[in-house]
Amino acid sequence: MTEEKTIESNQLDHSLRYEISEKVGAKSLLKCIQCGVCSSGCTVSEYIDLQPHRVVASLLLGLKDIILESNAIWTCSLCHRCTERCPKGVDYSFILALLRNIASKEGKIPIEYSSTVETISENGFVVPYTGRMKNTINRRREKMGLPEVSSPDLDEINYILKETGLGNLMKKSKEDED
Amino acid sequence: MKIKMKFALFLGCTIPLKYPHLESAFREVSRIMDIELEEMKGASCCPEPVSLQSINVDAWMTLGARNLAIAEKMGMDVLTICSGCYETLKTVKVLLGRDKKQFNKVNSILKNIGYEYKGTSNVFHFVELFSRKEMLSQLEEKVVKPLDDLNIAAHYGCHLIRPSEIMEFDDPERPETMDSILNVLGARTVAFASKLECCGYCARLNEDIGYDLVKQKVVELVDLQSPVDAMVAVCPACVSQYDRKERILSRKLDKNLDIPILYLPELMAIALGVSTEKLDLNKRSVKPTKLIAKLKI
Repeated sequence: MTEEKTIESNQLDHSLRYEISEKVGAKSLLKCIQCGVCSSGCTVSEYIDLQPHRVVASLLLGLKDIILESNAIWTCSLCHRCTERCPKGVDYSFILALLRNIASKEGKIPIEYSSTVETISENGFVVPYTGRMKNTINRRREKMGLPEVSSPDLDEINYILKETGLGNLMKKSKEDED
Repeated sequence: MKIKMKFALFLGCTIPLKYPHLESAFREVSRIMDIELEEMKGASCCPEPVSLQSINVDAWMTLGARNLAIAEKMGMDVLTICSGCYETLKTVKVLLGRDKKQFNKVNSILKNIGYEYKGTSNVFHFVELFSRKEMLSQLEEKVVKPLDDLNIAAHYGCHLIRPSEIMEFDDPERPETMDSILNVLGARTVAFASKLECCGYCARLNEDIGYDLVKQKVVELVDLQSPVDAMVAVCPACVSQYDRKERILSRKLDKNLDIPILYLPELMAIALGVSTEKLDLNKRSVKPTKLIAKLKI
């Protein structure tokens, strides 16, 4: 049995639904009718503690902590079946991405995710491609008759990361290393 | 009159840096099909739809728009060879086309590093290209090694076809494009219950999900009445996920799981007469030994 918990209305985050639904791709959020199609077809439904339609209900009510504490937002396999089948056109998988964005802003990012961003920041790619690694890869490619892969300008990549607010994430992980 | 096709080739990261033999297969097929490919100098990771989109949608869109802006400057449409790249670049294009505010936000950042995103280049996955009616008949004409004896299971994966409202590519519940390509090469494609299931690669926090999904599909295929000679995918994540996990599951379950997973261009290349020396077909955990013997290649 789950423990019952009372949440006062003044503890709800009433702006959450608008914060999410104003973003391109998530405008349909407010149309949810709680039919549960998203949950019935969810690839990871047996692994999560809050089913997709319950995440949306919590989001509409402003139960931010319940959502951010559930494992539902980071367990998604990104199969997009929820979005595909929603009769009201709610793009649940994109809304979930925006919820992960909110968790990230609060510093709650699983290492499996933040490490990829670091790799992109350092290499421009999700695969290490600098120094000795770069030489090894290109020698292999040359043997196969494939052209060398050109590296992107990392200053440009990091400028974009910084301007979109990911500068702190990069800085923080550097500090953690030290 | 035949119009020559020319594309800006978006390689992404995983294929060129980790699995270049898959890129070779694709380039061989393009050469035979007379598709001209121009390298996209300075392109970065698409960026991949799992982590970057999850952490910051603005960064994801802006990096994606930077890649698209490179193709725009080349005056060409983009051709992707990975479903993750396809999803990112196409979704970014569609969403930026729908939202002027986001479009301006992205461009205000790009402007400072000398780029402008206009939205003039279209984004294609090679499956979309090769499954066009005229391309299918051209493919059929060029087959020199028909795959007549093969039974193939097509794995579409998720990002190629969903969400259809954005991808607008194939029937999301009953896709046919991959099957149609395999059929003109001469192969039979099988119907199976878990055909549209996800490979689980993107469920990064819990590896059990991946194992369960791979098990579901591979065990179903092994137990089919008419056995399949290979599973075929069009995304490097799906290819590596099945290849690696099938081998491990085989030991764990003490069951002989031996269905090789190939990247669609590899099978296309075989049918189009590319020599196996150029293809590195054994560069995988589950070797396509039986398939090679059956085709006598």
